[in-house]
Amino acid sequence: MEALEEREEVEETAEDAMSLNSSDFLDELSKAVEETSVTSAEYDFDWSSIDTSHLPSSYKTNSRQEKELLQLADHFFQQYSHLCPDRKPLFIHPLNECGVQKFVSTTVKPTLLPFPDLYYWSGCASFVCDYLIMEPLKCPITPPSSLYSPTTILKYQRGNCFDFAVLLCSLLTGAGYDAYCVHGYATLEMCSLDQTHELCPLLRKPPEVPEEEDPNKYRIKYPLDPQSKFELQQKAKKEEETESAQEEEREEEVVMEVGMPKQDPLHGLRVHAWVLVLPGKRKVTEAFFINPFTGNHHSTTDECFLGIESIWNHRNYWVNMQDCRKGCKDLSFDLSDSICWEIMFPKSNEISQSPTESPNKDTDDMKEKGEIDMNFEMPLSWVTQIRISRREYENPFSQGKKVILYDKAKLEKWAAYTNEDGLVERLTVYADSDCTEELEVKEWFKHREDLLYMREVNKQTQLTTDHFRRGHPLLLKAHSYTSLEPETGHTVEFYHTARADGLWKRSENAAEMTEYFVGREDFLHTRHIEFGERDKEMENAGITADANPRPIVQIKEHFHRNPEKPADEDIEERIFMVIDDTIQLTYHLELHDIIASKVVFCRVVGREKREDEIFLSRENTVKYEPWSSEKHKNMLYLYDLLWELRAEQKKLKHHVRASEAEMLNILMVREDEEANVKLSASMYSCAKRGQRQEATVGKLH
Amino acid sequence: MSQFLNNIEPNIIDDEMVQKAIEEKCPEDLGDLARRESTNWKFVTELQLSFKSILQIDNLWPLENLTKLQLDNNVIEKIEGLQSLVHLVWLDLSFNSIEVIEGLDTLVKLQDLSLYSNRISKIEHMDTLQELQIFSIGKNNLTILEDVVYLRRLKSLRTLNLSGNPFCNEEHYTLFVVAFLPSLVYLDFKLVRDSTRKAAALKYQDLTKPLEQEEAQVLALQETEEAKQKELEYHQTAFVEYLNGSLLFDSLYEEDREAAKLASLPGVEDLLQAYKKEFVSVCENLYNYGLEEYEKREAEVSKFYKRVHEILAVNQEESKRIISDFESRNQRRLDELYQAGSGNLAESERAQGKENIRQLWDALMTLEALVSNDLEELLQDFKRSIDVIASTFTENIQGMFNQCRDLENEHHEKLMRIVIATQEKLDLDPFDESLPDDVQRLFEDKNTIVNIINTSHSIRLRKIDKRESDMLCNIYQWQISETEKAFQTESDRNRACIGKILCFINTLQKELDNTMILKPRE
Repeated sequence: MEALEEREEVEETAEDAMSLNSSDFLDELSKAVEETSVTSAEYDFDWSSIDTSHLPSSYKTNSRQEKELLQLADHFFQQYSHLCPDRKPLFIHPLNECGVQKFVSTTVKPTLLPFPDLYYWSGCASFVCDYLIMEPLKCPITPPSSLYSPTTILKYQRGNCFDFAVLLCSLLTGAGYDAYCVHGYATLEMCSLDQTHELCPLLRKPPEVPEEEDPNKYRIKYPLDPQSKFELQQKAKKEEETESAQEEEREEEVVMEVGMPKQDPLHGLRVHAWVLVLPGKRKVTEAFFINPFTGNHHSTTDECFLGIESIWNHRNYWVNMQDCRKGCKDLSFDLSDSICWEIMFPKSNEISQSPTESPNKDTDDMKEKGEIDMNFEMPLSWVTQIRISRREYENPFSQGKKVILYDKAKLEKWAAYTNEDGLVERLTVYADSDCTEELEVKEWFKHREDLLYMREVNKQTQLTTDHFRRGHPLLLKAHSYTSLEPETGHTVEFYHTARADGLWKRSENAAEMTEYFVGREDFLHTRHIEFGERDKEMENAGITADANPRPIVQIKEHFHRNPEKPADEDIEERIFMVIDDTIQLTYHLELHDIIASKVVFCRVVGREKREDEIFLSRENTVKYEPWSSEKHKNMLYLYDLLWELRAEQKKLKHHVRASEAEMLNILMVREDEEANVKLSASMYSCAKRGQRQEATVGKLH
Repeated sequence: MSQFLNNIEPNIIDDEMVQKAIEEKCPEDLGDLARRESTNWKFVTELQLSFKSILQIDNLWPLENLTKLQLDNNVIEKIEGLQSLVHLVWLDLSFNSIEVIEGLDTLVKLQDLSLYSNRISKIEHMDTLQELQIFSIGKNNLTILEDVVYLRRLKSLRTLNLSGNPFCNEEHYTLFVVAFLPSLVYLDFKLVRDSTRKAAALKYQDLTKPLEQEEAQVLALQETEEAKQKELEYHQTAFVEYLNGSLLFDSLYEEDREAAKLASLPGVEDLLQAYKKEFVSVCENLYNYGLEEYEKREAEVSKFYKRVHEILAVNQEESKRIISDFESRNQRRLDELYQAGSGNLAESERAQGKENIRQLWDALMTLEALVSNDLEELLQDFKRSIDVIASTFTENIQGMFNQCRDLENEHHEKLMRIVIATQEKLDLDPFDESLPDDVQRLFEDKNTIVNIINTSHSIRLRKIDKRESDMLCNIYQWQISETEKAFQTESDRNRACIGKILCFINTLQKELDNTMILKPRE
C-alpha cells in the first residue's frame, strides 16, 4: 500500500485525529481503503468495454515530439523522486483510453464552444457538473492510473474528478481564462460529492446590509432606566450557572458533531482534482478554485482543500514545493516563483505568465517564437476537437434529471421542455435531516406561455404563491392562494406600471378586500372594503354568486399627504359606512400637530332618506372638531362636500363590484391556464421547434 | 339701452345687495339656520350681480376669497373697487359702459376677462395679467388695428374675441391678428387653422421678425440680469457680496482724486499694482471662506431640523395611536350609554367614561411633556453649536480684515516715503518739469501733501472697517435670529399642542354629557 510510504505524514494527521498507536491505525487505514474501494464498485461503469477502435491515430500512438516529451517527463519524474523521496509520485504521464502513455498537459484541449453561457466560468462549471456523472476514484488515496481524453468523457457522460477537471480546464482556457488543473487533496465531502452537510445555495440568505448609522450629531440621550445592582448580580450569577451547564452540554454536542468529520481515517489523504483560476485574464481579480463536481466557486483559503501536489494546463506543468500541512490557506500562486513552484519547462513558463491582455501583443508573440525555438516546444494536444451539439447542450442530464441532496433540502433539475408543464427545477425543503417532513416546495418553470416562472408551496399552510414574469395579459406579478375557488383568500400582485389605476396588490377573502395603490394622482394608497353576509334566502333559492353580490358594509380609503393642500384640508382617511349611512373624514396633520381634525356626516334621524336631497343641520347630522379649519364650519362648504361624497360613494360601489368581477376573471383565467399548460418555443431554436412539432403531430395521431 | 337707463334708478353696490345675491345662490334644501350661517362673506367664492343697474362698483372688499364675479349687464362706467379681490379668476364686465381698461393690475390670477360690449377705444393697463387665457373685448370702440400687438405680452392668452370693433372691417384683419399673436387657438369664436397661421406669418414676416428679435434680446438681457441678481442674493446670504474680484479695493479709491493724481509719480503705479494684487487675494480668501462657512451653517441648521422632525414624527405616531385606541373604546361606550339610558348601569358607564377621558388627558400631557423636554435639550445643543460657528466665523473674519489693514498701512508708509523723497527733490530743484502741473501744485507745501495722504489713508481704513463691521453684524444677526426662531417655534408648538389637548378633552367631556341630556328627553 502506498499509504505505508507516507508514514510520517499519516502520523501527523493521526495524532490530532485520534490517539491510536500507529500499527493499529495502519491496520484500520488499510481496511478503510479496502472498504471504500469495495463500496465504490457498484458505481462502476465498465470502462474496459468501451469501443476505442474508431478513435483517431493520435489517440493510439505517440508522435516524435510526444515521445521526446515523454522522455523529458520521465526524466523529470525520476529527478523529482530522487530529490524528494518522501513525496508521492507525480501524476504526470498516465495512460489514455487506448493504453498509450500521454503527458497530462497534452490532454488539455482549449476549446471555445458556440454557446454564450460557456464564455463565462460559471456557465462552463455548471455545464460540466450537470453533463457528467461523477464516479469516485478507484482508490481514494492515489491518483488514477489512466486519464482519458475529454472527448471520450463527453461521449460517455461520466468520469472521475480528474476527468471533470481536465474537461473544465479545457473549456476555461478556451474561453480565455488563466486556468489550471490541480492534483491535490480534499475532504471526504468534496471528493465524494456529498453536499448533505451544506446549506443549499438557493436557500442562502443574502448578507444583511448593516444599516448606515445616522451621522447627525443632534440626538437625544435617554437616561438608562434605573436598575438594581443587586438584581443584576443575581441575574448574572444565574446566567453563569445555566451557561456553564449549557456549555457542558454543548461540549458534548461538539464532540458528537466534530466526531463525524474526524471519523474519516483518510482525512488529508483523499486525492481530488479541481481547477484553479488565476487573476490577470478575463477581468479575474483574485485567484479562486472551482470544484468541478459542484461547479461552485471556492476561495483559495477554503478549508475543504487540504493540499496541492501539482498543477498543469496545456502549456506547462508545475509541482508545488510549499508546505501543505495547514491546507491551502497560505499557498502562494505566483507560478514564476521557483522556490514555491518547480517548473517543468522553465522558459515557456515566463510566456504563460506574461499577460496576453497587454496591448503589445505582437511583441509577445515574437518573444514566444524566439524563445520556443531555443527550448522544448509543447506539442499540440492529441485530443481531437471537443464538440457538443446544441441538443446535448440543452439536455445536459444524462438520466433526464439530476438530484442533489443538501442539508435538509433536495434539489431536482430537468432540462427545459422535458416536463409537460415546463418544470425545470424543484427545491424541496425538509424540517429534518432525514428528509421525511416537507416544509416548503419551490418550483421553477421555463418557457411557459402564461409566464409563470416560479411556484412556492408552503406545505404547512398549503399556501401556494405563483410568480409571473412581466407580460401576462392580466398583468399578474404574483398570486397566492390555497385553492382556486373564489372568495377563499387570494392575494394578487400586479405589474402596476401597466395599470391605469396604479393597483399593485389586492387581497381578498370572504369578509373583506384590500387594495393597495401606488403613484396615484389623488394620493390614494389603500382601500379597504368590508362585506356582509350574503342574503340567505337568495342563496337558498339557487341564485349564483354573480347575481347575489355580497352587501358592502364599509369602504375605507387612505390617502398620502398632498403637499399642495394645507394639512387640515387634506383628507387622510375616508370611511363610508354604507349600511349606517355615515361618512367620516379624518384629515392629515401638520408635523407639529398631534390631534387630527375630523368631519362626520351622520344619518339623519327621523327623516326619510331621499337620494336627491340633502338635509344638513348643525345639531345632529354633521360633527366637526372645534379646531377644524374655518371651512369645515361653513355649512355651504359642507353641503357641497356632502354632495361630492355621495357621488363618490356611488362610484366606489361600482368600483368594488368591478374589482370583484376582476378577481373572478383572474381565477377563471388561471384555472384555465393551469388546466392546459402551453410551452412556447423560441423562434431561434430550430431543433427545439421541430421537436415540438413532431411531438404535437405524434399526439394528434 | 338709454331707455332702459331712463326708467331705472342707477345703483351702487351695497351690503344688502351682496347679501341678497349670496342667499340666492344657496341651495334650497339647506336648512334655514344653516342658510343664514352660510353667508359668511369670507367663504363666498362666486357672486353674480347681473342686471342690477349698477353704476358704481363698491363694497366688495370683504369678499376676499372671491374667484368668480359677474357684473354683466349693468351701467358701470369705470372699473374700480376690485383691487382687493386678488383671487379672482373669472371677471365678467360685459354689457356695461366702460371706457378705459384700468384698475385690474392687482388681479394677477385672472384667467378669464370679458369686456364685451363696452366703449373701450384702447387696449392698455394689462401688463400684470400674465395668467389671462380668455379675453373678450368684442363690440367695443377699437379702431387702431396695431393696438392688438400690445397683447403679445400676455403669454398665456389662447382665446381672443375682437369681433364687432371698427377695425374688424379692415382688410386682412384676421391675418394681421394671427400673425402678431401666433399662440392664439381661437379667434372670434373660431379655431385658428394652421394654414391661416402659416399664411399670416408669411404675409407679415417683415413686421414680426424685427419684433421677435427685439423681444428675444430683451428676454436675454432680463435673464442675465436675473442670474446676476440671484448670484448677488446668494452672496448676500453668505455675507460676502462684492468680495470676489477687486470691487472692495476699487471702492477704496473711489472719489479719491488726490490719490489718482499721485499715481503719476514714478514708482507709485507699481506700488499700487502690487498693493491691489495682494489686497484682492485677501478678499478672495475672505470670499471663499465666507461661502464655505455659509454651507456649513446651512448644513448645521438643516441637520438640527431633520432631527426635530424625526422626533415630532415619532411623537405624532404615538399620540395618534393613543387617540385611536381611546376612540374605538369611547365609541363603544357612547353606544352602550345610548342603549342603557338612565339607571345605575348608565351611571357606572358614565363614570367609567369620565375616568377614561382623564386617562387620555394624562397620557397626552405626559407625552407632550416628554417631547417638549427632548426638544428643549436639542435646542440647547443647537444654540451651543450656533454660537461656536458664529464665534469662529467672527474670529477668522477679523483676522483677514487685519491682513487688509496691515496691507493698507504698509502701502501708506511706502507711499509716504516716495512722496517725501519727491518733495525733497522738488525742494532742491523747484523747476523740475517732469511732473504735470496739477501734481506739482500738490507739492507746494509739505504739510498739505502729508495731510492729503493721511486723510485718504484714514478714509480707506474706515471703509475697510465698515465692511468688516457689516459682516460681523450680519453674522451676529444670523446667530440671534436663528436661535430665536428655533426657540420661538418650539414654544409656539408646545402652547398650541397643550391648547389643542385641552380643547379635545373638553369636547369629549361635552359629548359624554350630551348623551346624558339627550337620552332622558326622548
